[in-house]
Amino acid sequence: MAALLEKLKRLLGREEEPVQVEAGLAEEFKARYLSFRQLLAANNKALELMSELEAAAGGGRVFGMSFLRSRTTALGVSVFQMVDLLNRLAPDKYPALAPRLKQIQSELETILAPAEAAQGDELILLLSEIDQNRAEQAGAKMANLGEMRNHLGLKVPPGFVITAAAWRLLLAGGGLEHEIRRRQQTADLENAEELFTLSSQLRQLIVDAPMPPELGQALQRAYAALAAEAGGEVRVSLRSSALGEDSAEASFAGQYSTQLNVHPEFLEQTYKEVAASFYSPQAMHYRLVRGLRDDQLAMAVGCLAMVGGVSGGVAYSVSPLDPADRQVHLTAAWGLPRVVVDGEAAGDHFVVSRQEPHRILARVIEDKQSELVCHAGDGVCRLELTGPRATQPCLSEAQALEVAEAALKLEDYYGGPQDVEWAYDGQGRLVLLQCRPLRPAEAKAATPSPQLPATGPEPLTHGGVTASPGAGAGPMHWVRKDTDALTFPPGAVLALPRPAPRWAALVGKAAAVLSARGGAAGHLATVCREYGVPALFGLGPELEALAQDQEVTVDAGSRAVYPGRVEELLQRRQARPAFMSGSPVHQLLSRSLERISPLTLLDPDSSEFQPQRASTLHDVTRFCHEKSVKEMFSFGKEHHFPQRSSKQLFYKVPMQWWMLNLDDGFVREIRGKYVKLEDIACLPMLAVWEGMVAIPWEGPPAAGGRGLASVLFEATANPALTTGVKTRYAQRNYFMVARHFMNLQSRFGFHFCAVEALAGERRRENYLSFSFKGGAADASRRLGRVRFIGEIMEEQGFRVESTEDNLNARLERHEQEATLEALKAVGYLLMHTRQLDIIMNNPRSVAHYQDKIRRDLALIRSGQAEGQKALKPA
Amino acid sequence: MSSNNEISVLLVDDEEYYREALARRLIRRGLKVAEEAGGAAALERLAREAPDVVLLDVKMPGLDGLEVLRRIKEMRPLTEVILLTGHAHLETSITGLERGAFDYLLKPVPLEELVEKIHDAWEKKSVQERKIKAVQADGVKP
Repeated sequence: MAALLEKLKRLLGREEEPVQVEAGLAEEFKARYLSFRQLLAANNKALELMSELEAAAGGGRVFGMSFLRSRTTALGVSVFQMVDLLNRLAPDKYPALAPRLKQIQSELETILAPAEAAQGDELILLLSEIDQNRAEQAGAKMANLGEMRNHLGLKVPPGFVITAAAWRLLLAGGGLEHEIRRRQQTADLENAEELFTLSSQLRQLIVDAPMPPELGQALQRAYAALAAEAGGEVRVSLRSSALGEDSAEASFAGQYSTQLNVHPEFLEQTYKEVAASFYSPQAMHYRLVRGLRDDQLAMAVGCLAMVGGVSGGVAYSVSPLDPADRQVHLTAAWGLPRVVVDGEAAGDHFVVSRQEPHRILARVIEDKQSELVCHAGDGVCRLELTGPRATQPCLSEAQALEVAEAALKLEDYYGGPQDVEWAYDGQGRLVLLQCRPLRPAEAKAATPSPQLPATGPEPLTHGGVTASPGAGAGPMHWVRKDTDALTFPPGAVLALPRPAPRWAALVGKAAAVLSARGGAAGHLATVCREYGVPALFGLGPELEALAQDQEVTVDAGSRAVYPGRVEELLQRRQARPAFMSGSPVHQLLSRSLERISPLTLLDPDSSEFQPQRASTLHDVTRFCHEKSVKEMFSFGKEHHFPQRSSKQLFYKVPMQWWMLNLDDGFVREIRGKYVKLEDIACLPMLAVWEGMVAIPWEGPPAAGGRGLASVLFEATANPALTTGVKTRYAQRNYFMVARHFMNLQSRFGFHFCAVEALAGERRRENYLSFSFKGGAADASRRLGRVRFIGEIMEEQGFRVESTEDNLNARLERHEQEATLEALKAVGYLLMHTRQLDIIMNNPRSVAHYQDKIRRDLALIRSGQAEGQKALKPA
Repeated sequence: MSSNNEISVLLVDDEEYYREALARRLIRRGLKVAEEAGGAAALERLAREAPDVVLLDVKMPGLDGLEVLRRIKEMRPLTEVILLTGHAHLETSITGLERGAFDYLLKPVPLEELVEKIHDAWEKKSVQERKIKAVQADGVKP
């Protein structure tokens, strides 16, 4: 192989006679053309990926780390290929380029590197030794509990935390981490079916993973100590305590699992199940839409002595629904507080005054049907409530005030409204189980619903509890089991028998949420408020009467469901909060883009246009593209290879246009100096030409030029094509052509333009790029022209970007015919926007030309322009 | 463009389900497809056969994909290798390209795009072969 290459090099040496090397040269040229085409394909892919990343940064779509990693990797691959291919076209000519790219790539890698593991490698931490400063190890929930116990002297259950380090140890076993990342990359989490499938696979992987021996031993030791402290065998609750959970920005309400009354025999298994809920569908979806980085998060798990509660519930230190209501709101149930947290039952409702002395302002006592209690063996069970307890309040007045005081104490300590889970144990002691910031209602969300006109429709059902205010409409979609979730259509009204937290992944797609059971205090209600989705819970069995797919309008604020779409109610719908903006993943994208997208190598003629000046991936692609075009031009000349040297275009007269055939751009081999228009087989070039000659140029816009132009017009079909008879070599216009490809480099007067297009059968690869720079006039008029042309190109469907007086317009993935049509428009604009910079400070002239250009373009599209008719063979 | 059945492809992936499904679809597109589940087996096959294009998974148990790539390019420099992987990792991708891979594609790749990539790789290989032939022919002329 090496010997062959040596031979090739010698053969390509200039001292050899051209005749003898012709076959080798022809093949060499073919190979170069292939490299060039591959370079262009890589360039297009790189530009598309960059614009996809920029669009993501601009908002409006949801993306996660796997999007960011896969796009930047694909981009890195494309740019690397370009540098490699340029090196093939011009071996060792730009030695600084590859090291420069490597530098940029490694900066990007540093930005995107997985987050460093948090400090501290303890697998277990006791609740008595942690506070908020250990949130990176213990997770937010348990760190908070430690803070309440150790700094506020509040009663919490005794227990310990299985830390984030333990989670990482579990995942490191058997390469689980890599496997999880690999599976995530190929899944579209916005698609419910893929989300549920992936979630189930990932959870299974974790549950099946072997328990690392040192973790198993540490867990058993910690449990034994807890049991000894409690004086014998003790049941525990295992509570998820994820990193980043329960922060003010992201509530994660009920996204993760909690297991109650766990028997010691099942400790390890249950730990893995709770840990695995990191990949519950709702948690994965939540992290995705909130732009949270999986690799920065981890799942710690709290292991707390079980509180066999007599009653329990949730306290909000202010109303979660109405920002004007600053009183304390309690929801309580008999037994374990879970029925309230899971939104299963509405529970008794108490409103306690914020002002001291605290007193009960309002009380709603439900008819409670059941309670949840610890099972003697393992887990929990539901008991029917009969007799007087069903209708008795499950909190005494003193207890309600005690809970409210605790909530206000926590609010005061943390400096913001709190959401507190609590229980009364068998000895009548208040035990706090959890505390997290409460996201108060948005002011506008609480504005009263507009009144329906008296003649409005009768509601289908009304009542229940406003879980999240607002109105929304859509077809009813009942979700009773997982398979119903898979078919949930975006924009439907989510209808539930009870508001279980597991349906949180659907909330973001729902127009509104309805539930037969539940109240405003559950996790799902919190999620609805966070997403700004109207929700009405506790509608009772009447809701079941509403049929699947029936179109309804939900007015959660005034607690009614109407048939059909009631536009009066829908008009005030508020925009959904934009979660991605400013999120960790979004910030990472913005930082990555600094190394990717700014274009600083703008002017190929400047001495600054050097590989070592490239500071972004965009710069590298720009440099490679520019130089590859130059290399393709120079080959025939440098190698005395007439067939692959440029030919002067002969169209009635010799023109200042030179044509280089890359492959199959001419209908036959041209040996002489000239090539005629009819010898050209390049479809894109012929389309540009058609656009150029379609409508005669009126000449420079200012007075004085017209007379001269009309004289020239008589000389040839279009005088513009022969102007600059005495132009210098550098001011010639070059076309490189193949049957489906063209590249045009042109200098008209003082400005430079380039057009490049591929219009073939692979629609996916087709593109048209038009770039344009400079001008004779002052900066403000040059910029004016860039804007002027940009607007017109956007009207023609191009994607336009401009930097200083550079304009880049692109069109991608269009059918061949559509690409050729667009090329005609480009040809026209090349001719007719020359020297328009002169009039850019005159609004009336600008309007005149805008109008004329639009009319001309429409005429060209119809194929009826004078010049087009003349091109057709008689 | 050549007709498809001239192009022979070796598909190397340890995920049986994915590999077999992809092989069936590529065969339906008229490609000649052989399969191997691991790097070592693929290298053994390459000692006997010279496929035009190898589709190679990067992360496989046993022999590392990048090492397999290095040995393929040693044994069969003209055979083009497309890395096909579930791992979006910038450094790995660049190492792969430095070792002569034709491309680094992230799963899932739309079939259309993959078939076009295989054609492109095949085209590069044929141009390379013709160039070598022409140089040899020119070399004996004078």
